[in-house]
Amino acid sequence: MLKVGTILATSSVALAAVMGASTGSIRNEVNPPIKLVGLEAHDSHAAASILGQFRTSASSWLYLHADLYLHNGVEMRPLTDDEIKRGRRGVGGNSNEQKIHDDSKIVTVVPSAKDDFRGIFGDVERTTSSYKDMTGHGHNKPTASLPLFRLMTLLDPQFVQGWTTGSYIMLWDKNEEGFEKALAFLQEGLKHNPKSIDILTEIAASYLKERNGVRDFKTAIPYLRTARTVAAENFGHLSEDEREATLKNYRRLAVSLREMNLIGEERSVVIEGLKLFPDDVPLGRFWRVLNGEVISDAETSPPSVIKLAPTQDSASRDSEDGNDKNNDDEPVQVKVRII
Amino acid sequence: MNISAYRALARCVVLESLRRKDLWVVAILGFVILLASSTLGFFGFTGLEIFAKDMAVTVLGMFSTIIAILTSCRLVPDEVKNRTLYPLLARPITRLDLLVGKLIGAVAVTWISFLMLAALTALALTIFHVKFELIMVQYLLAKMMGLVVVCGFSMAFSVYMTPSASATVAFLVAFGAPMVTRGLILASAGNPALTPVCKAINTILPQTSLFDLGGRTVYIGWGLVPVWVMGFLFVYGLFYSGAMLFFSWLKFRRQAV
Repeated sequence: MLKVGTILATSSVALAAVMGASTGSIRNEVNPPIKLVGLEAHDSHAAASILGQFRTSASSWLYLHADLYLHNGVEMRPLTDDEIKRGRRGVGGNSNEQKIHDDSKIVTVVPSAKDDFRGIFGDVERTTSSYKDMTGHGHNKPTASLPLFRLMTLLDPQFVQGWTTGSYIMLWDKNEEGFEKALAFLQEGLKHNPKSIDILTEIAASYLKERNGVRDFKTAIPYLRTARTVAAENFGHLSEDEREATLKNYRRLAVSLREMNLIGEERSVVIEGLKLFPDDVPLGRFWRVLNGEVISDAETSPPSVIKLAPTQDSASRDSEDGNDKNNDDEPVQVKVRII
Repeated sequence: MNISAYRALARCVVLESLRRKDLWVVAILGFVILLASSTLGFFGFTGLEIFAKDMAVTVLGMFSTIIAILTSCRLVPDEVKNRTLYPLLARPITRLDLLVGKLIGAVAVTWISFLMLAALTALALTIFHVKFELIMVQYLLAKMMGLVVVCGFSMAFSVYMTPSASATVAFLVAFGAPMVTRGLILASAGNPALTPVCKAINTILPQTSLFDLGGRTVYIGWGLVPVWVMGFLFVYGLFYSGAMLFFSWLKFRRQAV
């Protein structure tokens, strides 16, 4: 009887050890490679283990704290729909500094005296908490929050937003050191999330940034291709953020392939992109150029005709391959006229 | 004012807490804080001073509130349950004296625990080379005043409810009141006709968030809080806990034991 018990106990321990050793293989099930990037979605993986939940919650908590770093502890909140309807405006940001996020729709959590009914309680809270009038406010240098991004990605390597936002901050000073660090950071993120469209496109975008007058299209293309494959296979499951990243990926891939004179592949990329995003203006423009049409910017450029060719000017390319991060979030609104 | 009775009753509460090994739990919690801090240091993160301070005030605030509630909620019900209330009331003290003494004892235990945790947290912060600032003293003072309010309403709830129910409600009030206040501000802004109602509800709620100087302590460049504000917090804390004591007494003076 004792022997049977010993054998059972030993077997159980062995089984537990084997299961423990193989937890790496279920990581993708617990934290799917294609997942929503937003915090709410990130927290909604009910199937995740308790430890996984703790990790994701901790990383989300840290991510939100990065915002407090930017505002030196002043807690901000987005305006509610009701407030926007009533015509309330956000505190706005300092127009002289590099744009970090949209300040036009955020206000302080602790209200200003004119919006506060609490009288002396409100006055005291504005004195005891980290509150100040944030109208036209500036931000602390985002690099101060970098340790938080390192910590959150260490706690939860599947927190894609931590990798991508962290790399963006590393590139803040626009120097070579920052570039190398950001790239290494993203590569580490890619190891943990090999099918993350966001990370793949961010790596590609880093290579497409002009360094010493050169854009590394050749190195960027494999990442863009991988992102294209992942996106095409999972398009129905992509979040809004990932769809946006996918669209940027198609634009960047088309431009990069054109630069490398891979016109046949560019054609298939543009066709595939237009099937998924039929209303996209830049992809439509690429299609017209591929069909030999000459396009001009009818309203903003001088009267001379601009032919979009592999040697196009860098300004138009910037808008296409998302070189300028701030403009990256807005669709390119170029009105085209076929000549 | 029966000072000697208050002292004796408070001493009993502290001794009882020692006997129940509550302070050991505090020491273990403190050890966990130290361990967690050391772990962060082990990973070699630099530039985490603000984060370390943030963690410290969060953990300190949370644990001290938990201790305050758990200590205060069981004082009166335990005396009734263990029938130790009879010998106490047989002495020349009123029921109000009993409540005051118990409250002072609960505050003493909470403050001892808080200061123990604060000392251990300070030790943990030195790992991150966090410099001492004068606002940290203000933070400790304000927090200690806030804990008196927490003890006050927790004990009041325990007179009206069972210990478990009172602890639950006290937790909800302590951690939920700031959220309710935010909701009231939004409601009042959305519909100004509701402002008097919002004001009334807000006045009743304990303003525990006013005592939290954590934000100013953690982030850089925030000055000291003016003396009149600290004075206001002191008076408010005294008034609110006094009101809670009064509500406790209203029920307890007629309670059959």
